[in-house]
Amino acid sequence: MLSCSVSGLFAQDGKALIKEINKKFAQVNDYKADVAMKFDLPGIKIKPMRGRVYYKRPDKFRIRAKGIFFLPKDNPMRNIQTLLAKTSSYTSLISGYETIDGKKCAVVNIIPLDPNLELVIGKFWISVKDPLIYMSEITTKENGTLRTRSYYGAYAKMGLPDKIMIQLEMKKFKIPKMLAADIKKSSTKSKGPQKNTGEIYLLLSDYKINTKLKNEVFTGK
Amino acid sequence: MREFNAILKNEIIKTIKRPRSFIGFVVVAFVCIVLQAAMHSDGGEMIGFVTSSLENTLSIKGKVMNGNLICFILLQTLIIQMPLLVALVTGDLVSGEISTGTVRFLLTRPASRTKIIVAKWIAGIIYTLLLLIWLGVIALFLSRAIFGADDLIYISSEALTVIPADDLNWRFGGAFVIAFLSLSVVASLAHFLSTILENSITPIVSTMAIVIIFTIIGMFDLPSFDVIRPFLFTTHMISWKDMFEDPVNMAGILKSCAILFVHILLLLGGSIYIFNKKDISA
Repeated sequence: MLSCSVSGLFAQDGKALIKEINKKFAQVNDYKADVAMKFDLPGIKIKPMRGRVYYKRPDKFRIRAKGIFFLPKDNPMRNIQTLLAKTSSYTSLISGYETIDGKKCAVVNIIPLDPNLELVIGKFWISVKDPLIYMSEITTKENGTLRTRSYYGAYAKMGLPDKIMIQLEMKKFKIPKMLAADIKKSSTKSKGPQKNTGEIYLLLSDYKINTKLKNEVFTGK
Repeated sequence: MREFNAILKNEIIKTIKRPRSFIGFVVVAFVCIVLQAAMHSDGGEMIGFVTSSLENTLSIKGKVMNGNLICFILLQTLIIQMPLLVALVTGDLVSGEISTGTVRFLLTRPASRTKIIVAKWIAGIIYTLLLLIWLGVIALFLSRAIFGADDLIYISSEALTVIPADDLNWRFGGAFVIAFLSLSVVASLAHFLSTILENSITPIVSTMAIVIIFTIIGMFDLPSFDVIRPFLFTTHMISWKDMFEDPVNMAGILKSCAILFVHILLLLGGSIYIFNKKDISA
């Protein structure tokens, strides 16, 4: 009886926090910002690079940069807002509280109502006072678990981070021997176990919000 | 010196004007254009095969199939075939003249035998250089014109490296210089064998046989081959790829270049010695 009422209270609180988050997101119809990207991906060497990020509600997202770079297949910067906005498609409950960056955060679990959905479970660390998502953990059937860690600054009022770290589970990148350019190299001894998570860091600055971005920005070259 | 220049000029003209010299240029152009056309239509599929294990979790942004990657693939493909094209011309420089008897007319000139053999060697090296420049023009500049220039994805046994487009010109330049040194060893070897043998086909076939045998020895990862592998010129012929490592192992590249250079000096020295001692009576 007591546990039911407590979980009911937590579920209530979870929705209230998400509602506040959605209110912040609702202020942003579109934005563009400068982005500095840094990659730490197992089996991949890529230098940091700069570009420009574009977003438009509900789910248009693009990073334009000169050169080749990598983003998670399920991009959390596009998907989280869309996921949280559909409040009728999931149940939410608070499983506990943790402190992140000195802020008390509720750990809000999101469970989709439709079992056929790709999402298995979403976990969001939302600050109780002035709600913002500081951390998230999204588990999907196909792509495993994707974690984010957000840091806020001048644009916190609109729920937009200054820095975001995306951590993703990566299967070991298998390089076909016949395609490796250095076949002359004799078998090198393994330098210890390769890590199975990769991190992508995005530093966002100079946001331009609600500038009525054209759809063409998200298509073409 | 003027006398040497005249001999050299004559040798260069003779080398370039021979019909077989054009075969190399035609083959390089044909292979490049066929591969470029194939990459234009099916390149995406090939890239997809390589990156498929990555694309489960990551989405690759940017133009992977671009002129720089095509050039790299072309170099990787053609550097294996180029020794044959080089040997086809340089393996006949001396033996061809011995078999036809024209060498006797050549030796009636006041120039020393050393000057004659060195002039022939330089003519062979200039041909090799022209062939590589031709390859560079078609493989790099034509590919960039068709596919555009973007970052290069370099796949080694240890990692997939993305090399920024603006960091590539010096790497390609270095790769072509190493490729030139490598092919110069082949040219010097063919020239050396051409000095020993008096048949015009045998030096060409022998050069290719040596390249193939050394390459096979270099490919097998057997401990017994580890001792000789560092001394085989074929081991260092593919050092041009090291220009695309990050960071570039300059010490290793310079060592390879030094070994290739020593091969060239020894083979040229051998050619001069044998040609000076050779009894040309035919």
